[in-house]
This record gives sequence, C-alpha cells and structure tokens, in this order.
Amino acid sequence: MRIALAHRAAGALDAHAVAEATIGTWRQVDSLLAPVIGTQGVDVIFRRALYLTSKGFPWLASGEEYVESAVLLAGLKARLEERCADDVAQAGYSLLVCFTELLTTLIGEALTERLLAPVWDFPSLSSELEIES
Amino acid sequence: MSDKVAIRRLATGVPGLDEIVGGGFPEFSLNLITGSPGSGKTTLAHQIMFALANRDMPALFFTMLGEPPLKMLRYQQQFSFFDQDKIGESIRFVDLSDHLATGNLDQVLSRITKEVEAFSPALVFVDSFRTVVQETPHQVEAIISQQSFIQKLGIQLSGWQATTFLIGEFLTDRGSHPVLTVADGLLSLEQSVHRNSVVRKMQVIKMRGQATRPGMHTFRITGDGIEIFPAALVRGDTGEALETAKQLRNMTRLATGVPRLDEMLGGGLPSGYSLLVAGPSGSGKTILATAFLKAGVLQGEPGVIVAFEQTPSQSWNRTLDDMIRAGQIGLINTRSPDLSIDEIVQHLTKLIHQMKATRVVIDSLSGFELAVAPTFREDFRESLFRMVAVLSGLGVTVLMTSELEDRYIDLRFSPYGSAFLTDAIIVQRYIEVESCLQRVMSVVKVRASVHSTEIRRFEITDDGIVIGNPVSDFEGILGGQPTRTKASRMADRGETS
Repeated sequence: MRIALAHRAAGALDAHAVAEATIGTWRQVDSLLAPVIGTQGVDVIFRRALYLTSKGFPWLASGEEYVESAVLLAGLKARLEERCADDVAQAGYSLLVCFTELLTTLIGEALTERLLAPVWDFPSLSSELEIES
Repeated sequence: MSDKVAIRRLATGVPGLDEIVGGGFPEFSLNLITGSPGSGKTTLAHQIMFALANRDMPALFFTMLGEPPLKMLRYQQQFSFFDQDKIGESIRFVDLSDHLATGNLDQVLSRITKEVEAFSPALVFVDSFRTVVQETPHQVEAIISQQSFIQKLGIQLSGWQATTFLIGEFLTDRGSHPVLTVADGLLSLEQSVHRNSVVRKMQVIKMRGQATRPGMHTFRITGDGIEIFPAALVRGDTGEALETAKQLRNMTRLATGVPRLDEMLGGGLPSGYSLLVAGPSGSGKTILATAFLKAGVLQGEPGVIVAFEQTPSQSWNRTLDDMIRAGQIGLINTRSPDLSIDEIVQHLTKLIHQMKATRVVIDSLSGFELAVAPTFREDFRESLFRMVAVLSGLGVTVLMTSELEDRYIDLRFSPYGSAFLTDAIIVQRYIEVESCLQRVMSVVKVRASVHSTEIRRFEITDDGIVIGNPVSDFEGILGGQPTRTKASRMADRGETS
C-alpha cells in the first residue's frame, strides 16, 4: 500500500502531489470494487474508514456527513492539500489501510487481495527496480 | 445420420440436481430459479456457477438490488464450493443496482449487453430478478417495459450463446410472471412448514426438451452447499428384467439365522424378498433382525441397518454392535427435524453400493415414521411403497420390523397397510398360558412359496431366538387367552379319543 502511494507520488515532496496520489489510488480502488460490490457498497465502507481514520488525524474529518461521494472526495482532497507532505502521506496511507481492513473483515483477505490486485501491481515500478538492481 | 440439433447438457455436479433436471441444463437455455426469500436460490445459483465456470466457460454474475453484493460475497464464501481462485478469472461479479436505481430498464439491458460483449460469458446469472419488476416506478408502463426487457434479455443472451439463470421471486399470489413462458427451464424452491418443522423442497416445473424427475424433491443446505434428495423413482423394468429378477429369486434362499425359522419359511427367505416382522414391544423383532444380518455376515455378505430406536446403543445387542464396529454392517441412524424418506433412501442406496450389501434391515417402521418430518407422515405409506420398490430394484433382501400393539380381536400386521408391500410376513405375539406370558411366532405369508402355517412357541435366550414345537395343545391362541385342546386334556387324563 505504502509502495503504491509512493509510486503514484513519484517521490514528490509537496502535499499537492501526495494528495493527488492518495486520491488517485482511491479512485482506482473505487473503480475496481464498484462494479462488484456496487457504488453504495464502496461508499459506505469508505465513509466508515474516513470516520475511523479521523480519530488519529482529526483534520481529516469533514463535518459534513450527508454529502454526495463526489463532494466528500473533493473536500477530502482539499483538506489533504492544506497539510504538509508527511501528514498527507501518513493520513492517506492510514485511510487506505483502514478501508482495506474493513473490506477484509467483510469478504475475507483472499478475496480482498484478489479484487484489489491491480492496485498493487506496478509493472513499470518493478521494471524500474529490476533495472536499478 | 440424424440432422437433428444435438443439445449439450451442462451437468452441474450439484448433488441430486442433474438427476432431477434430466441430466443437466440444456446449453444456451434460459432458466429461472424461483422461490421465496431464504429458500436457497442464490446459494443454488452460486453452486451451479462455481461448478460450471472455468476458463473455457466464463461466468458473469449480475447482482441487482436484492441481496447487497458485499453480504452475498461474505456469506457465500462460507460454502466449500466458493472457489476464490475463479473470481476475476472465470467468474466476474457485476453490480447493476446503480443502473436499476434510475428506473430505466433499457440502461440495465444496455449495461448487461456491454458486459456480455466484453466478457463473452458462457454462463450468465442475474440475481435477483424480482427487483427489476418491483423497483421500477410507474407500474403500468413498467409492466410493458419489463416484458419487453425480459424478452430482449432472453433473445440477446441466447444469441450470445450463453446459458442463463435468472434468480428471483417469479411465482406470486397474483399469478405467474410473463418470464415464465419465455423460460426454457424453471426450478421452484420452497420451505414447507408443518407444525414446528421446516422442510426444504425443490420442484422442476419445466425443462424444455428433456424428461425431468417428477415430484417435490427435498434438499438440505450444509457447509458444502445444497444437496438434493431426488424423490425415489420406481424403475419401470422391462419384462425381461422382471423375469431375470424372478429367476434369481427362485434360485437362492437366504438363511435367517434362526434355527427352524428357515424350515417354516419353506427353506429360507427367497433372495430379494422383503420381509415384514410384526409384533409387540419386546417380542424379539430386533433380535430376529440381528440374527438375519449375522447369518449374512457369516457367509461374507455385508448388510446395512437403518435404526430408528430412540436409544440405539441400549437397545442393540452386543452382536449387532460388534458387527457394526467390525465394519461388516453399515449403520444409518439419521436424526433431524427435516428428515425425508427420500433422504434415507439416498443414504441407504449409497451405503448399499459402497458396502456391496445384500441384506438390509429397517428397525423399525414405527421409529421411522416418528423420525421423519411431520409433513412426510401423511404420505408415509406411499413413500414406504417407493422405498421398498427401490430396494427391491437393487436386488437386496429387506427385513423390516413393525411394532404392533397386541390386539386379540383381530389379526393385524402393520399400522401402515404395508403388509401388501412385502413379500413375506412373520408375526410375533404374546399369549397367556397358566398366568405366564409366552411368545409365539408364525409365518403368515411367503409370496410364491409354500411355507409352514403353524403357530410355534419361541423363547429368547442368550444365544438368540429358539423356536419350539407347534402349539398343538392349545387353541384360541390369536385371541390371547388360549385354552387347551380337547385332545390334550384327554391325553393328560390318559384317555384316548
């Protein structure tokens, strides 16, 4: 998960790029899961993950509970961009981990991994690592 | 050479399902799985899908607004057939609830078509279909729109060479759904409630182009999924087969394991016959049944006992226990509130084949009737008839015991009218002689064979049943209070007649 985020952020140090990476990873998770468990299914777990993660990162909380997913996501992105890169990376990572854990408790680890496999699959990253080594 | 189209049947491997639908689902057919909530529709659909789907036959599973996909995936994983490795590879889940929420069925159809084009599935499942019918606003327009939707879907999917399963509640109190006429196959699942027992039943209402197994078939849902117990089918033997069976019967006679009883039966019990041993409690029916099984074991013939006594370990004698432990006798001692006779017949048939058993004991019919779910008790006699016929078809020799309250005003053999079902009958009774209870036994019937008509005293000893001489010194035995015959009274006084 952390590698996935780092790869998306492409080593960027500014909060904007890290926030983009977090939201981008989330969009990919959403696009993979929504056809299977429905947008409502994804949405309800995401909101729960956001609520739980906000306990460790109070600035993540939106205060607007009953807004549409798109509005919620836009608000989240805006709040992420207000913080420093380290904060954003940590919070983004915690949020995605929390989401994955919630999904795991519902449908099991194996199925979660299978459904989200493309998120962790970076052919370009692995080829870069191979070249470096 | 025949130029008729050959329809491939997709055998699902779901225990009992292929048998009742006539060998499997016809390829490219449109099938409906209908039933009330909780009847097992989604489980059956998943079981069929996981059994059939592979790389060459990919499956698409569309979920509607019925069971949330998250919950469906969570709970279906509990079944052993749920193979996660197939998900993403040969099985794809697609949630349609967002499209359905718009109420535009054309959009739903377009999405289904798009997915089918992209994935080229050989199998398509749509769960649950009722939601399409109910969730659409404007009922009048909706009905027309639904009919058109279903027809289009049916045509498109068969055009795409996909075998389709629509899951939903199609049969309602208001009548049947238009999709029923379009469908090639229709499976109806239900939960039948009788008193405090619930029994799951399945019926193949329709399956185009092939002979299905008629009747309501009971099924059970376990950790392995659905197991269906097809209603026992009495095989329509040809005249030739009957003759062969008859010849076989005439050829061999089996020892019952009770000295002198074989003689009373006219030389042993004909092989393949069914024997009813009727008598009051404690008269020695189980002991006779044990002797019958032991006689088989001594000749290297395994047997099977279906035991329905309330406390089997106590009522069995040691001989029976030893034979079961040694694996010479197979035991069926099923207890569950939804037990059907067909389930017992299936277990019994399996065990007979597995053990190559030749002798079967059902001890007792009275216990059997109590063990089956209340809903089957009304049809107990008919089911018993089918069971005896199935066992007879397997060529095994059957001994059934029946507990009978002693009535001294008439001669009865069984409360189920089962006497006519059996080929032979032995009746045991108590009589009172000089303020003591004595046991007597008589062979009432051995079909197509001469047999003794004597009423003989017998005793139960540590070695089993010991049959004595005919009761020639008493008369009125069947009345329960015999009196000495005139001849025996005279003999006592040293007179001659």
